[in-house]
Amino acid sequence: MSDVLKLENLSVSLPRGRAGNVAILDELNLTIGAGEMLALVGESGSGKTIAALSVMRLLPRGARVQGSIQLAGTELTALDDRAMRGVRGRDVGMVFQNPLAALNPSRTVAAQIQEAWRVHKGGSIRAARARALDLMGEVGIPQPAQRLDDYPHQFSGGMRQRVMIAMALACAPKLLIADEPTTGLDPLIARQIMQLIARLRREHAMGVLFVTHDLSVVEEHADAIHVLYAGRSVEFGGARQFFAHPRHPYSAALLNSVARLGQARLQNIPGQLPEPEARPAGCRFAPRCAYHQPACDAAYPALIANGGTAAACLFPLPAGGVLQAAPLAKPAGRNYAPQLEVQDLSVRYEEAGGWFGAGGKQPPTLQDVAFSLGKGECLGVVGESGSGKSTLGRAVLQMIPYGGHVLLDGHDLAGLHGPKRRAQRRRLQVVFQDPRESMNPRLRIGDIVAEPLRLQGRISQAETRRRVAALLGRVGLNPELALRLPSAVSGGQAQRIAIARALAAEPEVIVLDEPTSALDVSTQAMLLNLLKDLGQSDALSYILISHDFAVVSYMADRIAVLNAGRIVEMNETARLIEAPQHRYTAALIEAAPQLRSRSR
Amino acid sequence: MSEQIIPAQGLPAAPLGSWVAWITQRSTLVAGLAIAGLILFIGFVAPFLYPPDPFAIHPDHALQAPSWAFPLGADELGRDELALLLSGGFATLVVALPAAALAFIVGIAYGLTAGLGPAWADRVMMRLLDAILALPSLIILIFFASLVTLNDTSLILLLGLISWPGLARLVRNETRAQRGRDFVLAAEQLGGGRFYIARMHLVRVMAPVLVVNGTFMIGDSIFAFSALSFLGLGVQPPQVSWGSLLESALDIIALDPWWLILPPGLLVFGALLAASLTGQGLLQRWGNGR
Repeated sequence: MSDVLKLENLSVSLPRGRAGNVAILDELNLTIGAGEMLALVGESGSGKTIAALSVMRLLPRGARVQGSIQLAGTELTALDDRAMRGVRGRDVGMVFQNPLAALNPSRTVAAQIQEAWRVHKGGSIRAARARALDLMGEVGIPQPAQRLDDYPHQFSGGMRQRVMIAMALACAPKLLIADEPTTGLDPLIARQIMQLIARLRREHAMGVLFVTHDLSVVEEHADAIHVLYAGRSVEFGGARQFFAHPRHPYSAALLNSVARLGQARLQNIPGQLPEPEARPAGCRFAPRCAYHQPACDAAYPALIANGGTAAACLFPLPAGGVLQAAPLAKPAGRNYAPQLEVQDLSVRYEEAGGWFGAGGKQPPTLQDVAFSLGKGECLGVVGESGSGKSTLGRAVLQMIPYGGHVLLDGHDLAGLHGPKRRAQRRRLQVVFQDPRESMNPRLRIGDIVAEPLRLQGRISQAETRRRVAALLGRVGLNPELALRLPSAVSGGQAQRIAIARALAAEPEVIVLDEPTSALDVSTQAMLLNLLKDLGQSDALSYILISHDFAVVSYMADRIAVLNAGRIVEMNETARLIEAPQHRYTAALIEAAPQLRSRSR
Repeated sequence: MSEQIIPAQGLPAAPLGSWVAWITQRSTLVAGLAIAGLILFIGFVAPFLYPPDPFAIHPDHALQAPSWAFPLGADELGRDELALLLSGGFATLVVALPAAALAFIVGIAYGLTAGLGPAWADRVMMRLLDAILALPSLIILIFFASLVTLNDTSLILLLGLISWPGLARLVRNETRAQRGRDFVLAAEQLGGGRFYIARMHLVRVMAPVLVVNGTFMIGDSIFAFSALSFLGLGVQPPQVSWGSLLESALDIIALDPWWLILPPGLLVFGALLAASLTGQGLLQRWGNGR
């Protein structure tokens, strides 16, 4: 039997409130062969993580599992807890999204890599340590002998993920479960991790269940794709066939909502994922589907194999049917009236220390940064973690002390104090990465959006309500949301609310600090489109800070590449992509998802 | 982006456990509020319902055990113990509650000022706080109580001004932790000043911590006042408080006057219990209010 993992009619329900169990995952069938990488793709709430956790039997308490889970021929659902512990870590390795949270900060990496080996295989510490050393070399940690006794915090994000992979590989598992292992990493690092997993699975003939929300991550290396939506399979098949001709409208829409270099418009998927209690009886994607027919609502469509992939759709898209729009030529060399001017900007963080604040000086986080931003222009700022891109945003916003000058409409902001400073700062607004963190959890949505209105002067209750409703409408939200608390809205809605609040201040410049990187792909697409439209209709100037080059290229008129606190390259987007001057820029462009031609 | 395993509306850990947890949560709060209501009733309403004069002396009934005429017996001077207890309750609460409120306000204001102010002001204010906290508060209380004329106002001021430092430190640390959060930064960007940030955002986010600590302060305040009265520094004779009643009863403990020791002791205990349970209940219901 060559199947490493075989799931048959796997259904999982989880306890939810007093209503009892609610089905999260229905009738999942999949097989993974030795040396095969299957990407289980879906957005938040699709059930993909629950599927992965049910293999390891790590579900929350009260979960009910039906169906069969076979690991190399062994039926896992029949095993008792003791036997299951033998399987975890020995036959199945697992890698999670956030390696810093998954590693124990108080133990050396060697101790943690050895752990699974010692638990399952026993033997001497010496042998286990030798194994750890081998593994660290294998996952590409430089000078592994010297790093064995380092602690997790001494490694960078990418290296930590390599340590996690080494841990998972300790007992040469038959199956590796990787749950969003590259999410949150810089794109270049993410790509290396992806290549590492792809190489290891071939060398060890190990099956890989790769769970992700982002199709572009697995495009290069996955052998098979399995797309979940609202707890059901919508499409599966070979990766080559899938990427060439996705048959299910949801798969195609998901593929088209990933930002790629040179793309003219991202596809919006209107509506929202249904709650697990309120899933439609028929096709679950039907309410959001552009090709919806009455027949779709009768019953969930069977998965029908149709030229390469199998799609659960009554009206599958014809092969090659949904071509992406051709890239539009960007209007090059537009002239913008100057809005914001940044000159010789430097930021140096003082180290906190000393009794009376005599902290040591650190090397500058930002040095001699200069650029100008035109009215209605979008400047993209890309760079990896620690390049100083968020610091740049905060300095422009006057949130932190800086050296140099920031001129708004020709007026230097540095010398201002008190109400004058506040009035000028209001013209610069910000949208943060984590939309929930940017809202006071105890205020209602309406009060959050009304905050800038109330700060600008006395206005009546009725007028406030009217303007809040108008603002919510502008960002595509139902005004009834005004009465809710932030905890009762989705991530995408929360980010729209943050945008509405920024708009309420009637700003001229908005700093977008990774505005979409905490969101699902389709939500991200809708939000980017919204920002793009607002930018055009209101002549808003944006500074878009992101590590995602494709997102920046989709939005920005010009791109500045930041490396170690300096702008190493700045040019119009199209020209930058065509002819990058800096090595780092070229690497970023290479790692970004490309616009695929569908004709292969 | 990790998938939400647990759906948006905070899922309880387990279906059965959640029911039990739900009931215990409620019961703590309900019990706290019920006892608090009883204590308030005894302090503010009951004195009007029970007519006998607390200060009338009946020498022939001295140290009488509870009877129809004296429901809770009489003390060594023959005063009606129940009437004394009710009058003492009013005297205790009328000082302890405003004192707690004063300490609550001073603590929050001091903590917010230190937490939002410039670094040097923060350092000075916190070192000052350390100095105050280093001295046992009861000692300071006794020291000042010996300096001023004791009446309700001065007692409120004394008690109030002595019990804020703990809350001040808590509020300051919480302010430091919250002021760098995105929604505070966003409010500053929108033009909100320090006072606005404090009022609109910080106090609201800290509300659970504040309310819970506020209830604890009420308990502390009653206890401190009772302790002060117990030491003879609280209310002045002939007026009594729960603490002074306890003290005079303990003087004659050899005679085993249980009806003079148990009731005031139970009332002080009940007041502390009410404050503590209410605080616990609110804490559980508001959870780790993010």
